[in-house]
Amino acid sequence: MKKIVIAGAFAGLGLLVACQPAAQRAEAPKAEKKKLSAEEKFKIALFKNQDKWQKACSNPTQLVPEGIDIDTFKKEMLATVKYPEGGVMGDWKKGEKLFGDPRKQGKSLRGNCYACHCGDPTVIACGNIGPSLRGYAKRGKDPKETYIRIYNSWAQNPCSVMPRLGYHGVLKPQEIADIVAFLHDPSSPINK
Amino acid sequence: MRKKIIFASAIAGGVVLTAAVAQQLPDQYKQLLELGMHPGYAYLDEGEDYFHNLKGPNGKTCASCHGQDASKLVGAYAHMPRYYKDIGKVADIDIRMLSCMTKYMGFPKSKDFIKKYTKKYRVPLATYVASKSNGMKIDVKLDDPQEKELYKYGEKLWWTRSGARDFSCGICHTVLSDKRIRQQALPNPVRDKLYKHWPTYRYSNDKMWTMEDRVRSCFKAFLLYVNKWDKKKDWIKKPPPYSKEVVAIELYMKHKGNGAIINVPGFIR
Repeated sequence: MKKIVIAGAFAGLGLLVACQPAAQRAEAPKAEKKKLSAEEKFKIALFKNQDKWQKACSNPTQLVPEGIDIDTFKKEMLATVKYPEGGVMGDWKKGEKLFGDPRKQGKSLRGNCYACHCGDPTVIACGNIGPSLRGYAKRGKDPKETYIRIYNSWAQNPCSVMPRLGYHGVLKPQEIADIVAFLHDPSSPINK
Repeated sequence: MRKKIIFASAIAGGVVLTAAVAQQLPDQYKQLLELGMHPGYAYLDEGEDYFHNLKGPNGKTCASCHGQDASKLVGAYAHMPRYYKDIGKVADIDIRMLSCMTKYMGFPKSKDFIKKYTKKYRVPLATYVASKSNGMKIDVKLDDPQEKELYKYGEKLWWTRSGARDFSCGICHTVLSDKRIRQQALPNPVRDKLYKHWPTYRYSNDKMWTMEDRVRSCFKAFLLYVNKWDKKKDWIKKPPPYSKEVVAIELYMKHKGNGAIINVPGFIR
């Protein structure tokens, strides 16, 4: 009985070894195409991936687009916004973690909103680059506008400092909806 | 209850704000500096040791060409990065020292040696050589056409907005300078001529950094990506060391720092 098992194991190994080169051969050409040196990768990322709108903002004023009319700029950016199926108001408890987990001093690897904005009053390690968001729901803003601002801030404010989080895919539409809920829900800590 | 928390956080926030604005050092570092114990001097001494005792395969040390007291290197750092005829390109201090070692001291141009140089010899030696120009003014001249070209490239790079966060060097260090990202104040290296205290000791990660490290790490924060934004797959962590882009930005910042008095090693957060 044992012999059979051992023989079977050997046969299995043999099969695996025999199959491997074929599998490698099939994958090899793809791998060769994808292998880029660090320098090439860096240049592609810095210049080739730079989109038309980033190029327009790459002037010494930094905050005013050059070569594209502001209205066209906004329209083109607005056309890139995709909405989630369940509406722009998601679950604020999920949004809180994406915005910055208060249990980890507001740290978040995804949204990282506290780097620039203040929000939950218990999180004091917040930046002053963007406006404070405390009591955001009382400002009477349309949640859809908030959603657009997070998804693609350049649709409202061309060449803004705020990253286009949804446009680049850093946050998914549903995740942005959760953050919108965190900002607009009257029971979330940001509005208390 | 809520009000109390807000009040407490306002006070704490105020304390944090003043601390950030005044750029206060933590107490233990203050005491160290008062005693004259700058942690960067350890790197400086290490660099001096390499300068005298690190022998290349053909028996030369740095000291055998540049003088036992490094007198021939006085003021050299003030003009860097600049064009060097013998290596045929614009070099910053890191590249200049590497090509000295491979060209004149006989070290191989292999990957292994470059790795060893980057990790072991580069920072201490750069600190030692840069400290020889202490008290002198930064004076980058841009005489050579290659220098001028690279300076223009550096200026273009400074304003280039790219990557998954739409950042450029200028967004943080020109437009948003003096604001805080979390509690950390953003410096303005061009306006304030901050190149004067580089290479510098960073107490936030307990390491000496040359400008090469600083620029490469800043590029990491651009969150550049190759295909589509994917932090695990396509995120470029850092540009390769000694690349043209890094030198270009160094040249731009240092030329803008002309006239500032060099004081190395620096001490920053």
